[in-house]
Amino acid sequence: MVKITYIEASGAEHVIDVMPGLSIMEGAVKNNVPGILADCGGACACGTCRVFVDEAWRERTGKPSDMEEAMLELHDDPSPGQRLSCQIRAVENLNGLVVRMPKSQF
Amino acid sequence: MQSVTDLALPHLPIEEPAFAADPMPYIEAARRQHPWLAKCNGGYVVHGYQAIKDLLYMDDRLSASSDDIIEIMGAKGTRWGKFIQEMVLAKSGPEHARLRGSIAAAFTPRNVNRYRPLMQEVVSRLLDEWAPKGTFNFAEFASYFPITVLCRIIGASPAAIPNLRHALETLGLAYSMDRSLMPELEAAYNQAWGFADQLVIERQTRGSSGEDLLDVMIAAKAAGQLNEQELRDMLVFLFVAGFDTSKNALTLIMHSMLRHPEHWVRCAEDQVFCDKVVEEQFRHTATTSIPRTLAEDVSYGDIRFPTGSMLIFAVPMSGRDPTAFSDPMMFQPERISANRHMAFGRGMHMCLGQHLARAQIGEGVHLMAQRITKPRLVGEVTWRRFPGVWGISSLPIAFEPNAHLKASAVHANS
Repeated sequence: MVKITYIEASGAEHVIDVMPGLSIMEGAVKNNVPGILADCGGACACGTCRVFVDEAWRERTGKPSDMEEAMLELHDDPSPGQRLSCQIRAVENLNGLVVRMPKSQF
Repeated sequence: MQSVTDLALPHLPIEEPAFAADPMPYIEAARRQHPWLAKCNGGYVVHGYQAIKDLLYMDDRLSASSDDIIEIMGAKGTRWGKFIQEMVLAKSGPEHARLRGSIAAAFTPRNVNRYRPLMQEVVSRLLDEWAPKGTFNFAEFASYFPITVLCRIIGASPAAIPNLRHALETLGLAYSMDRSLMPELEAAYNQAWGFADQLVIERQTRGSSGEDLLDVMIAAKAAGQLNEQELRDMLVFLFVAGFDTSKNALTLIMHSMLRHPEHWVRCAEDQVFCDKVVEEQFRHTATTSIPRTLAEDVSYGDIRFPTGSMLIFAVPMSGRDPTAFSDPMMFQPERISANRHMAFGRGMHMCLGQHLARAQIGEGVHLMAQRITKPRLVGEVTWRRFPGVWGISSLPIAFEPNAHLKASAVHANS
C-alpha cells in the first residue's frame, strides 16, 4: 500500500493507505476524504480534484501533462505544486506523499 | 433491504405537459412518500441530490439506456437508432475512452478561452440583427448563438445554419420518449449526417489548415482513433449536444431574469456576477435528465434494484432538493453552498463541452444584458417535455434596445 496524507484547507489531516495503481483522486474518493469532488470520475475533464503537492514531493510526482495544464487554467490560481489528483498514480516511490486540498473545488 | 419492486412508490407523470410546465407540485407530493425515488412509465425517477450524486457515479454498473430508448421509440433498424447505439454516450470502457479521447483536448478551459473573442463577435452580430426589433421569442433568438459559434469553431459555412438548426431542434427531442416523433428524428438525423459528411469531404479535398476542431477530428481519424462513420457521428453528436443545452440554458436565464431585473442590470456591468448567475441557473433549473439501465443488481440505501431496471436521473430536480440546498427555489447568484450542481452530469459521461458551454453562456448573457434592456414577458411561456432536454420552447419578450452599443464597439475591444 502507498501511504498518502491528504490535508484539508481547514488543516484536518487524513492518512490513507492507497492501493498501488489507483490514482491519488481514487484513494481519496474511495475513502470518503472530503475536499475532492472528482465529478468526471478521473477523465481529466472537470478540474474538481485539484490538490497542491508538498514541495518535497514535486520532483517525484512529476510535471502535469499538456492536457492537465490546460485543464488547470480553469482555476486561475498561481499557487505552486498544483495538480489534478486523478493524474497522479499511487506508486511505491510516492509512499508518504503529502497533498493539500483547496478551500473549494469550484 | 427491500426490492424496489416491493416499495409503494409515488408515480411521476414526467412525460405529461403539465409536469413540464411546473414539476414542483408533483415532486413535493412525491417527496412526502419517498425522499428521492419515484416510479414513472418504464422505470424509476431518481430525483434527490445525494442519490443522483452517488448512483450516477457507478459507471461500471450502469449502461446508457440505448436499447430501452430504441424500444420505446420504435427505432429498431433505423439510422437514428444505430446512431443512438454507437455514439460516444452509449459506450463504456476502452471504446468510450477512445472516442472521447479523440476530441477531449479541444475542450479544455485553455482552448475554450481562445474562442471567447469569437463568442463575443457572434453574439454581438446577432444582437445587431435582432435587438432593433424590440420584441421576439427569446428562445428562437438564443438558438442562433450556440449553432453559429459551433459552425465557426468547426469551420462550417453559416449558410448551413437554417436547415441544420431545424434538424438539431428535432434531434434535441431524442430522449423525450415521444414515439410519434420517430419519422422526424430519422429525417433530422439523415440531414445532420449529410451536413457532417459534406463538411468532412470538403475539408479532406481542400486540405487541413490545422487550426480548427474539424482538423483535430480528421487528425484523430488519420491516427486510427476514429473511423469514417464515427467521425461523422461525432460531428452530429457535438452539434446536438452543444446546440440544445446551451440554447435552453440561455432561455431559462432570461426567464429567471424577468423575475429579477436587478440581476439583469448587474449582468450588463459585471462579468464575474454574470458567471454567478449562470451557475445559479444551472443549479436552479438544469436542463438534462439522464436515462441509465442497470447492467447488474445495485443496492443503494436500503433498496435493491434488479439488473435491467431503467433509472431516469432527474438532474433538473437535484438542485431543488432542500436537503442539499437551502431555500432551493430562491434564485440567489451569491449563494454559498458546500454542494455543487450537477447540470453537466457526473461520472465518465460528464459533459465534454461544459467549459465551452460556461464560457459561451457567460459571454452571451453579459452582452445580451447590455443590449436587451428592461425585458418583460409579453405572451405565454411554453415548455419542452421534461424527459431528455427540458426547457422553454417559447419565451416572448419585449424590451428597450440599447442601440448605443454595436458589434463594432465590442470588436474594437477584443
